[in-house]
Amino acid sequence: MKTKKVSANVVALVVALFFAFPTYWMVATALKPRKDLLSSGYDLVPFSVTGSNFATAWAKPGFLTALGNSLLVSLGAVLAAIVVGLLAALALSRMRFKGRKGFVMMMLVAQMAPFEALLIPMFLMMRDLDLLDRLPALALIYFAVTLPFCAWTLRGFVNGIPLELEEAAMVDGCGRWGAFRRVTLPLLGPGLVATSVFAFVTAWNEFLFALSLINDQAKQTLPVWLSGFQSAFGTDWGGAMAASALFTLPVLVFFLIVQRKMVTGVTAGAVKG
Amino acid sequence: MTAVHTTDAAVPTNNSSAPRRAAPGGAPRRRGSTFDRLLPYLLLAPALVAILWLIGWPVLSVLVTSFRKLNLRELTRGEVVWTGLDNYTEILGDPAFWVIAVRTVVFTALVVLVSVLAGLLIALLMRQISTGVRIVLQVAMLLAWAMPLLAATTVYQWIFDQQYGILNKTLVKVGFDSFAGYSWFSTGTSTLAVTGLLIVWQAIPFLAFSLYAGAIGIPKDQYEAAGIDGASTWQTFRAVTWPELKPLLLMVTFLSMLWDFKVFTQIWAMRKGGPDGGSTTLPVYQYLEGISKSHFGVAAAVSVVMVALLALLTVQYLRRLVRSQEGEL
Repeated sequence: MKTKKVSANVVALVVALFFAFPTYWMVATALKPRKDLLSSGYDLVPFSVTGSNFATAWAKPGFLTALGNSLLVSLGAVLAAIVVGLLAALALSRMRFKGRKGFVMMMLVAQMAPFEALLIPMFLMMRDLDLLDRLPALALIYFAVTLPFCAWTLRGFVNGIPLELEEAAMVDGCGRWGAFRRVTLPLLGPGLVATSVFAFVTAWNEFLFALSLINDQAKQTLPVWLSGFQSAFGTDWGGAMAASALFTLPVLVFFLIVQRKMVTGVTAGAVKG
Repeated sequence: MTAVHTTDAAVPTNNSSAPRRAAPGGAPRRRGSTFDRLLPYLLLAPALVAILWLIGWPVLSVLVTSFRKLNLRELTRGEVVWTGLDNYTEILGDPAFWVIAVRTVVFTALVVLVSVLAGLLIALLMRQISTGVRIVLQVAMLLAWAMPLLAATTVYQWIFDQQYGILNKTLVKVGFDSFAGYSWFSTGTSTLAVTGLLIVWQAIPFLAFSLYAGAIGIPKDQYEAAGIDGASTWQTFRAVTWPELKPLLLMVTFLSMLWDFKVFTQIWAMRKGGPDGGSTTLPVYQYLEGISKSHFGVAAAVSVVMVALLALLTVQYLRRLVRSQEGEL
């Protein structure tokens, strides 16, 4: 029994290595001096460490613009999706009205919408709106992509807040708005954070629309900029890895913040089966 | 996208343990003013408008466009030319389309099979190991899960680099000299294999986390009973774990199929569907026809084929999801 557990642990550590290695290799490469990268030497651990790759990536033309564009589009879309999604979630979770079930189903179906297969109509639509080559086109699409998810997930979080709390506040003299603002909204905080992080990551990662709708280099988002790294960096893998690391950093920080929420979310969902 | 989608199945049921009272419809029944009665519709209006405009309309539009001849010429002149089923006969009569379609289905099937199987094995493994090791494994998987797609693709390109990639260097070091300067991207199949590995690597964490959560939810006494009956490990798996995990396993399999079929980012970023179109899948083909060549009508027909296939899977998935959440909608 004992050896069985030990061997299971060993296997698990090997598996962990498989998952962690690319991240390690990204950071290790980003820290290596250029001459070590393009040598035939075998160095799993950097012999010497430098920050120059990060400086190169940071200073590459377009990086900062792309970073700014990505932040702008992602944050704008997520903010809108959270606000609109929360309004819908409150109605779906707290109120009873005709057609509620229909709206719930619509949200569920909208969440499964295959956006990748709607590339052509989206392109034509943005062309008609004269939004091609302009960031609002991306913000609008990312808003649409994340909205059903936000509404659906927030509805789950609102459901989790006991209605009694709101009722108690109303008994104590709060209006409906006051009860919402003083009781529900603060309790919803963690849910709002978790939902926005996931929505943000979606927008941050999006590639197909960013590639198709934007031609102007000054409007590129980070994924598209990074995908052109071979032209931007040549064989400068250190610079490419540093740029990738900078691209990963915000997501990693966000993931660590909501990590607990995420795992419990998965847990709660899975127990039902 | 994966990161967010992952919670589609997870978070919605987040509140399955929530007090019944908080369930929908539990609101105070105040037959109030007109405003009160209209309030839910007012709250839903922005979402409704956005969904109809930005999702509903494109779905209709893709269907309509697939029956039009719409190349750059027609587009710039604003002409509407109906061609009936011409776009469909064109793509369905093109052997290249079938090669791509079959390739996409096989690729999706393999990626789903490998990732779900590996996810299940890791989930079961996670129950057997010490807490410390489990945390290490979970953090490692979190790193893979969190890495942006483009960053991950770039890192994989570097690892698999012909000259200086660490993989070839390592293979040579352990004695496989033929891998010195070996090109992993010289054929479509090999390119897709590397891309598939990348997709599987990022897909497993969600699958493993979900299935692990499902596995620890299985009542302990069932295992004790199996132990008393003298069941072997395999018998216990067959009799206890498998039936308990099967519904969840089916759900995540459907989700994986939906996600992996649509993959564009990694395939495009890896080698732009090359070499020689050898790693082109349906989403890449749609992009090439529509955006690169401006054959919007033909590309829309490809999209409709994709939507139809995805819709079949989605209906299956949603039926199961709704059934599993009955009473909570």
